[in-house]
Amino acid sequence: MPAPPTADEAIGNEMFQTAPQVEKLAPFSAEDPKIIRTFQRAKRIDLMARWGISAGGILVIFCVVGMMVFIAAVGMPLFITPSVAKLSQFDRSLQEKILAVGVDEYLETGFSLDQRGVWSFYYMKDGKVFNQVTTKPVAKKNLQLHSIETYDNKIYSLLWADGSTTVTEVKFLPKFNEGVRTITHQINRIADFPAEQNQQVLQSFARISGEDDSKRVTLVRQLGNNKIQVIQQLVEEDLMGNTEEKNYSNDFQYPLEDPITVMTVDRLGNAVYAGTQTGQLLQWNISEPGEASLVGQVQAFENAMAITALAVVFGESSVAVGDEKGNLTVWFPGKIQKTGEPGPLKKVHIYDSYKNPIARLLPSTRNKSFTSLDEGGNIRLNHMTSERKLLDLSSAQPYRIFGFSTRDNGLVTLDDHNQISLWELDIPHPEVSWRTLFGEVWYEGYQEPEHIWQSSASTDDFEPKFSLTTLVFGSLKGTFYAMVFSIPLALFGAIYTSEFCKDTYRRYLKPGIEIMAAMPSVIIGFLIALWLAPIVEQYVISFFLSTLLIPLVTVFFLFVWQAIRENPWCKRIEGGYEFLLIVPVIIFGCWLSVVLQAPIERMLFNGNFQLWLYQETGMRYDQRNSIIIGYGLGFLVIPLIFTICDDALTNVPKSLKAASLSLGASRWQTLWRVVLPSASPGIFAAIIIGFGRAIGETMVVLMATGNTPIMDWSVFNGMRTLAANIAVELPEAPVDGTLYRILFLSGALLFLITFFLNTFAEVIRQRLRKSYGQF
Amino acid sequence: MDAISLDPNVHVMESKDLDFYYGDSQALFGVSMKIPRNYVTALIGPSGCGKSTYLRCLNRMNDLIDRSRMVGSISFGGEEINDPALDVFRLRQKVGMVFQKYNPFPKSIYENVIYGLRIAGIKSKSILDETVERSLQRAALWDEVKDRLNGTALGLSGGQMQRLCIARAIANNPEVLLMDEPASALDPRSTARIEELITELRGKYTIVIVTHNMQQATRVSDFTGYFYEGVLKEHGTTEQIFTNPKEKHTEDYISGRFG
Ligand SMILES: Nc1ncnc2c1ncn2[C@@H]1O[C@H](COP(=O)(O)OP(=O)(O)OP(=O)(O)O)[C@@H](O)[C@H]1O
Ligand SMILES: [Mg+2]
Repeated sequence: MPAPPTADEAIGNEMFQTAPQVEKLAPFSAEDPKIIRTFQRAKRIDLMARWGISAGGILVIFCVVGMMVFIAAVGMPLFITPSVAKLSQFDRSLQEKILAVGVDEYLETGFSLDQRGVWSFYYMKDGKVFNQVTTKPVAKKNLQLHSIETYDNKIYSLLWADGSTTVTEVKFLPKFNEGVRTITHQINRIADFPAEQNQQVLQSFARISGEDDSKRVTLVRQLGNNKIQVIQQLVEEDLMGNTEEKNYSNDFQYPLEDPITVMTVDRLGNAVYAGTQTGQLLQWNISEPGEASLVGQVQAFENAMAITALAVVFGESSVAVGDEKGNLTVWFPGKIQKTGEPGPLKKVHIYDSYKNPIARLLPSTRNKSFTSLDEGGNIRLNHMTSERKLLDLSSAQPYRIFGFSTRDNGLVTLDDHNQISLWELDIPHPEVSWRTLFGEVWYEGYQEPEHIWQSSASTDDFEPKFSLTTLVFGSLKGTFYAMVFSIPLALFGAIYTSEFCKDTYRRYLKPGIEIMAAMPSVIIGFLIALWLAPIVEQYVISFFLSTLLIPLVTVFFLFVWQAIRENPWCKRIEGGYEFLLIVPVIIFGCWLSVVLQAPIERMLFNGNFQLWLYQETGMRYDQRNSIIIGYGLGFLVIPLIFTICDDALTNVPKSLKAASLSLGASRWQTLWRVVLPSASPGIFAAIIIGFGRAIGETMVVLMATGNTPIMDWSVFNGMRTLAANIAVELPEAPVDGTLYRILFLSGALLFLITFFLNTFAEVIRQRLRKSYGQF
Repeated sequence: MDAISLDPNVHVMESKDLDFYYGDSQALFGVSMKIPRNYVTALIGPSGCGKSTYLRCLNRMNDLIDRSRMVGSISFGGEEINDPALDVFRLRQKVGMVFQKYNPFPKSIYENVIYGLRIAGIKSKSILDETVERSLQRAALWDEVKDRLNGTALGLSGGQMQRLCIARAIANNPEVLLMDEPASALDPRSTARIEELITELRGKYTIVIVTHNMQQATRVSDFTGYFYEGVLKEHGTTEQIFTNPKEKHTEDYISGRFG
C-alpha cells in the first residue's frame, strides 16, 4: 500500500517517483528477435506508407495544376498575335499593266490579270508561268481593260475600254492523283453586258446571288454625270425545268454639284453605297428589281472631306469608309429605339488612320475584317468589331495591287517594281480582344456600346458577341441572391442545433440537413424550375410579405411568451423544446402572408402586381428569376454552410462556454461574446466555401435561370452564369474554334475567381484565428 | 451535522436532502450540507463519488447537462436555488466558479477580467479599470501582468492563467467561489501560489474547493466534507476530520487505504 498522496503526486509527478519500483509486467524482452522483427516490419510499413501517401498527395496536386494548365492552354491561343510570313517573291515585269493578282488556297499557284485580258497562271514558289488564258471582250474587237472590280477574289467584273463588262469567275480545283495533289484552274465566263450608246462607264460592279434555279446577276455601273445604272438579270426555273430570264435596267442620278468619288455594292447586290467629293455617304436600296430608292444620306465629315474608298463589311449591314485624309471608319445604321427599324448610318468604329488617302478597301468573305490600301502603298487588315489591327504591311516599294486566297490564308501583293510577293497569314481569332471580352462594344444594330453575350445566330454573317463580363455578372448575381437566402438560414440553423437544441434532437436534425447535400442538383433544378417557379410567380407578393410578417409574428409571439413564461409548463418547453412552438408560429406567418396577398395586391398594385411592375418601373417579371435561383442555389449550399458552421460552433471548447455561463452570462450573451468570435474563422470559411460552391454550380442555374445573358440586378429577372454558359454552349462549339476557346477561357476565369476567393478567405481566416485563436 | 459548531446564521448555503440524477443513474443521495460564510470548505473523496456534481449543483451549472435532474433543496442567502423561476444568471454572478482546467477567453487579459461586468452591462471606464486592478491584485497577478493588460490572455503561463480565472471570478464580486481541483493541472510552484491565494481570499469570500490532495485540504480549508459514492459520509472541521474522524470509512480514506 502506498503512502498518503504527496503534493507531487497530486500534480502528476507520480510516474517519475514510482517508475523504479515497477515490476516486470510481461515475460518478454525487447531483445527478443521476434519482437525486433515486428518493430522492423512496423518501420518498413511506416516508410512505405509515408512514401505512398506523399506520392498520392503530390499526384493530386499535380492533377489540379495540370487541369489548370490545360484549361489555360486551350484558352490562350485567343491572344496570340497574328502571324504573317513571306513565302516567296518574284519579278513580273510586263509591258502590260497588271490589274489583279490572286492565289489558290494551297498557296501553290497564282495568277495575274493584265490589261489585255490575259490571265497568267504561275507557280508561286518561283514565278514560272505554266498557263495563259485570254478573256475576249464582248465586242469582238481588240480592246484593253479599263478597270476590274471584285468583292470576293472569285467573281471579277472586267470593264472594257468601250464600256462593256464581262463577268468572269476564277476557280481553283485541287485534284488528287495517287496521293499527289495538283491544282487545276478554270476561268468561267458568267455574263456579258454589252456597251450602250454614248455611255461613259467609270466602274462596274457585278454581284451574283441565289442558286441555279433562281439566280440573279446584278451589274451596277458608275456612269459619267453622277449617274448610276443598275442592270438585273433574273433567271428562274419553273417546275417543268424551263428557265425564264428577265432583265431589268434602271438608272438614277445624284446632283451634279457633288461628284461621286467612290462606289460599292454589297455582296448580294441589294444595296449601293457611294461617297462624294464633299463627304456625303449615300445608300440606295436596289433589292427590288427595277427599283432604286435613296434610303440613306449622311454627311460623314464636318469639314467636307472626300470619301475615297468604300467596302461593305461581311454581314451586309456595316460599311467601311476611307477618306482623303487617310481616316478609316466603319458605319452602320443605328436602331431607332421606338420602331426597332434601322435608322440613319452612324459612325461606330474608328481605326488608326493612314498618312495618305485611302485607295482601296476589300472586305473579307469569311468574317468581319477588311483590308485597306492607301496611296502610299501600305496594306492593313483590321477587324471591325474588335478594332484590332491584324496585319500591317509596308515596304520601301509601295504596294499597288493585292488579292487574297478564298480562305483568307494567303495574300498576294504587287508593288511598284513589279515584284509579286506571297504572304502566308495565320489569324486564328480576329474577333477576340481583351476589350471584346470584358469591355463594352458597339455591335451592329445596337444603339450604343454594351456588354452582350450572343455567340451564334442562324446566319454565318452574324457578328458574334463575346462579353464575358455579362457572364461574370450573372454568376455574381446568382451567387449573391443565393447567399442572401442561405447565409442567414444556415447560420441560424447551425447556431440552433449547436447551442440551443437538445442533444437528443440534434442527433437527428444535423444528419437530416446534411442529407439535403446529397440531393442531386438536377433534381433541385427541375423542382424549382417546374414546381416552385410557377408557385412563386403566383404568390410573389406573399413571398415578400413573408420576409416581413414571419419576423413580426415571431416577435409578437415572444412578447406573449414573456408574459406566460413563468408558468412551470412553459419552463419545461424552454429547456430545448422551443421548436414545438415556433414551427406553428412560422406556419401561421406563412399563412398570413398568403391570405394578405390578394388585398395588398388590390390596394397597392391595382390588382395585378406584374402589370404594375412593368408600368411603374419598366421591369418585366420573368418566371425564372433571381428569387428562384436564390432558393435553388440556396437550398444547395445551405447544408454545406450549415455543416461547417455547426462544426465550427460545436468545436468551440465547452470550457469556454462553461466559463462564460459561470460568470452569469445568458446563452445568447455566451453565443455572441464567446462562441461566435471563436467560431468566426470556421463560419467565414463556411460562407466562402458556400460561395465557391454556388458560383460554380451549373445544373440548377442552367435549369432555373432562363439563361438570359442580361446585366441587370433586378430580382425579377434571370441571368446567365459562367458555368451554365459553358454547359449550354460547349456541345455546340466547334473544337478549337473561337467560341470553344472562349468557353475554356471562361472556365479558367471561373477557376481563378474561386481560387482567389479561397485564398482571400484563407488569409482572413488565419487572421481571425490569430485573434480569436482556439485551444 | 452537529460537528460544525457554528451559528446557522452564518451559513451562506445549505443543501437539504439533495438527490441528483444523470438520466436514470443517481449521482447524489440525500446530501445535506451547510456551507459556512467566509470560510474555506474542502470536498474530498474518491474519484467518481460526486464532489464535482455537488459543486455544480451549487451554481446550477448542471442545468446544461441534458436529461439531468435535481431533487431536494439548496438555499442561498435564504433563497431557494432549485426553482425553475430562479434567475440563474444572477445566481451565477453571486456564486462564481473556477474550473480544473484554466479556461481564459481568447481575449485580452483586461477583457477577461471584466467579462462578467460587460455581461452585466457596466460601461463606465473608471469602474472597469478599478475592478481590473483590484481583482488582479486580489488574485496576486497584478504585478506580473500590469504592463500587458491588453495582451492576449493565452500568452500567460498555466499558473498565471488559473489565477486570471480566479481574478475573473472575483471581479463579479461573488459571495461564494466554487473551485473544482483548481491546482491539479499545475506544477508544484504554481500550486503553492494558488494555495497561498486561497489563504489570502479566506475571510473575504466563502470558498468551496474540491481536491484530491489531502495536504492541500489540510493546508487551505477550515471545514471538510467527505463524499463516498454520492453520499456525504462525514462533515466537520478540517482538524477534526483529519485527526479524529468519526467514521472508520473516512479514516481509511485519508490514511490512503483506498481511493
Ligand atoms: N455529465 C455526466 N453525465 C452522466 N454521468 C455523469 C456526468 N458527470 C458525472 N457523471 C457520473 O456521476 C458520478 C459522479 O461524478 P463526479 O464528476 O461528480 O465525480 P467526482 O467526485 O468529481 O470525481 P473526480 O474526483 O474523479 O473528479 C460519476 O459516476 C460519473 O460517472
Ligand atoms: Mg470531479
